[in-house]
Amino acid sequence: MYNTKIKPTFCPGCGNYGIKQALQSALEQLDLKPHQAVITYDVGCNSNMADFIYAYGFHGLHGRSVPSAAGIKLANHKLPVIAIIGDGAFYSEGGTHFLNLMRANHDVTVIVHNNHRFSLTAGQYTSTTEEETITVTSPAGVIEEPVNPIAVSLVNHATFVARGFAGDVKHLTDLIISGVKHKGFSLIDVLQPCVIWNKEQSYEWYKKNIYYLKKADSKRQRALKDALNEKKLAVGVFYQENKPAYHEEFPALIKKPLVYQDIRKIDIREVMKEFG
Amino acid sequence: MQNSINIKIGGPAGQGVKSIGLILDKMFMRSGYKVFGYTEYPSLIRGGHNTYQAYAGSESAFAQKRRLDMLIALDQGTIAAHQDELDDKTLVIFNQDTLKVAKTRGVLLPFPINDLIKKADGLPVMANIIALGAVCFLSGLEPEILANLVKETFGAKGNEMVKKNTACVKAGYNFAREKLAQYAIKLDPPAKKEKQILVTGNEALALGAVSAGLKFYSAYPMTPATSILHSLVHWAKKYSLVVKQTEDEISAINMALGASYAGARAMTATSGGGFALMTEAVGMAGIMELPLVIVESMRSGPSTGMPTWHSQADLRQVLHASQGDFPRAVLAPGDMQECFDLAREAFYLAEKYQLPVIILSDKYLSESMQSVPAPAASWQNKRYGFANADFNKAAGKNNEQPFKRYALSSGGISQRSVPGQSGGAYLSNSYEHDEFGYATEEAEMAVAMNDKRSAKFIELAKEVGQSRPRIFGGQSADVSFISWGSNKCPVLAALDLLKEKNISANFMHVNYIWPFPKEAVSQFIKNSKRIINVECNASGQFAGLVRQETGLKIKENLLKYDGRPFYAEDILTYVQH
Repeated sequence: MYNTKIKPTFCPGCGNYGIKQALQSALEQLDLKPHQAVITYDVGCNSNMADFIYAYGFHGLHGRSVPSAAGIKLANHKLPVIAIIGDGAFYSEGGTHFLNLMRANHDVTVIVHNNHRFSLTAGQYTSTTEEETITVTSPAGVIEEPVNPIAVSLVNHATFVARGFAGDVKHLTDLIISGVKHKGFSLIDVLQPCVIWNKEQSYEWYKKNIYYLKKADSKRQRALKDALNEKKLAVGVFYQENKPAYHEEFPALIKKPLVYQDIRKIDIREVMKEFG
Repeated sequence: MQNSINIKIGGPAGQGVKSIGLILDKMFMRSGYKVFGYTEYPSLIRGGHNTYQAYAGSESAFAQKRRLDMLIALDQGTIAAHQDELDDKTLVIFNQDTLKVAKTRGVLLPFPINDLIKKADGLPVMANIIALGAVCFLSGLEPEILANLVKETFGAKGNEMVKKNTACVKAGYNFAREKLAQYAIKLDPPAKKEKQILVTGNEALALGAVSAGLKFYSAYPMTPATSILHSLVHWAKKYSLVVKQTEDEISAINMALGASYAGARAMTATSGGGFALMTEAVGMAGIMELPLVIVESMRSGPSTGMPTWHSQADLRQVLHASQGDFPRAVLAPGDMQECFDLAREAFYLAEKYQLPVIILSDKYLSESMQSVPAPAASWQNKRYGFANADFNKAAGKNNEQPFKRYALSSGGISQRSVPGQSGGAYLSNSYEHDEFGYATEEAEMAVAMNDKRSAKFIELAKEVGQSRPRIFGGQSADVSFISWGSNKCPVLAALDLLKEKNISANFMHVNYIWPFPKEAVSQFIKNSKRIINVECNASGQFAGLVRQETGLKIKENLLKYDGRPFYAEDILTYVQH
């Protein structure tokens, strides 16, 4: 139901296949028809998915697509909005949007394809690449420490913080379903093998280095412990909190979504009084 | 008798120069005069030298003038700073208890302000109010109008404050009547009394946008565009608007485009620096074919420049911003009435042609005040370009296949669907795409889509071309001015001055800058005896555009780039010498 006629162009073995499959199966299980959800896409291998998924889509600018997702949600808050984006886009180019949209609790489910590389531009390091990693733009090894998106989200008021693994589609599907159902900002960082540019972090490597969280914590400080675990990577929901979503705080949106409000006749008599 | 009056108040920031100026403007407007208010201030919160200039005319108030009828000095520096604007008849009003005025042009009118305040049981801060009362008498206006304004302005501070302020108004008025009656200015009565409102360009723009069905506004504060955000956030509840202050300008425009894609009429506003950040997304609006109204209110540049000062040097920036070819419209309102009218027009053009429309304003318009005839209370809006404008209903019959959002057709305009509509699912794409929105790198489709977008521009040019630039002062004259945007204010004022000197002059005001009104401009220049281009930038950006579009070179360019707008007198002096 959610496939276009265009055949996916991801490399054989790419983690994007698993994420695409999880997304589509989440949409199906959520019983959303193609016109009942909006998916935004960024720029990167991950977001080439825009052409393969049949639904309302918005394929925006590199690093800037999540603000567009928030705008879509504010204009029509009845629709679930899911943002597909990569680590380079969300944690690097669009870092300020990552920090600010999260703390505003916009009701958007952000799925970050985190393969620790700029893959579409042929393998440069990103802000999540491990220190000392050798890439085409770090021949002597990366100097910077990597961003820890889970820890940042936990201390920066995100209300749903999760990590999935592209190699475990069933688990990831459940995370996406929970994220979409969650009222507010949900971050789902997905460990995504890139078989071309990241040989170190293969499916096998991830399988050896991840462990599953049992259930979402309700205390940020406790959740941070798993987020800061340097030996192994936790997957699952780190933290979840129920809090009004951003759009629920707007008087303009109480009665009905913005786009359904009639603009055919506007009376400006009231405000003109200020200028008399 | 004289048909206008020009008053300046000067003092440090934080002394209420602007709020007193506003009361002054309203006092004249409510007395039936046409009013223009101009303010200058440095980029700081306390101190510095602030001025407010109130110009009132019995028939018109196009712009403030340089030569002052009255100067109200709230500090020592004000008198020295404005000597060039005074002549023998200018009344210089100051507090004799705090200021020592040695030498000045004009007629010195020292006020025993401390004494008057004491007698009126006022507070030291009410020196300004005493001055207001005096101006009211010296201009021959009814004191009740001022008393009412004072009540409205200070009403929120309680009865006691209203009482004190009202007593100070009376004290100033009575002192002037008793001691200074021989200096009273005999002002013509208003030529025509009509209901007016007093607005800044930003307020007029915001009001126009609301009347046009604006639903979504996202912006990041930047002088001189910020007050649009202030107005809209203030009205958000009443008009059911989503007004969002974002983390930066990039987020503002990308968010507004998301809302536009979802079907809401959306706008963002900024100044030159913020617009530079928005640039990439301007092109996205172009390729996604999304309507968006972007206000760019210019200030002195380059870079951070002089943040609170005037300029018109971003014309080339807005014309060319963003990579690739795509259609856009650029409108440059000339006064407050046009700010309102062109805001409405911008929403119409953006939605009809599915493209970004840039309203190019500037500090002079954004923060000056002008009285305009009160707009109608009720405004009608139509929706354009939707497969089904009832968003609760389906956009198409087939929900199994994507919607042909970018269907190729003559004229280039294709129908839109909005998310949630069955049979309407498609991809809005920043990549070059096919008719469904899916990315393409095919040569033929790339050409077809470029041609589709270009076709819209041709249609737009046909429609906009019909609204020829307006010519003021008759079809033929000895001196012809051509200009754009806010220069309309001082050039119209200059036409009056030239008339007094028996110099025949006319003026073409270009407010639809892009698509460019080639034929009208070309004809006007060819018909002129002496053509002068007037604009506030160093390189003559508009003159360059005229040459690019018409092949005609304008030899005389009156350019100003000192952060101040033109005064009518500057233009007169230039013509005469």
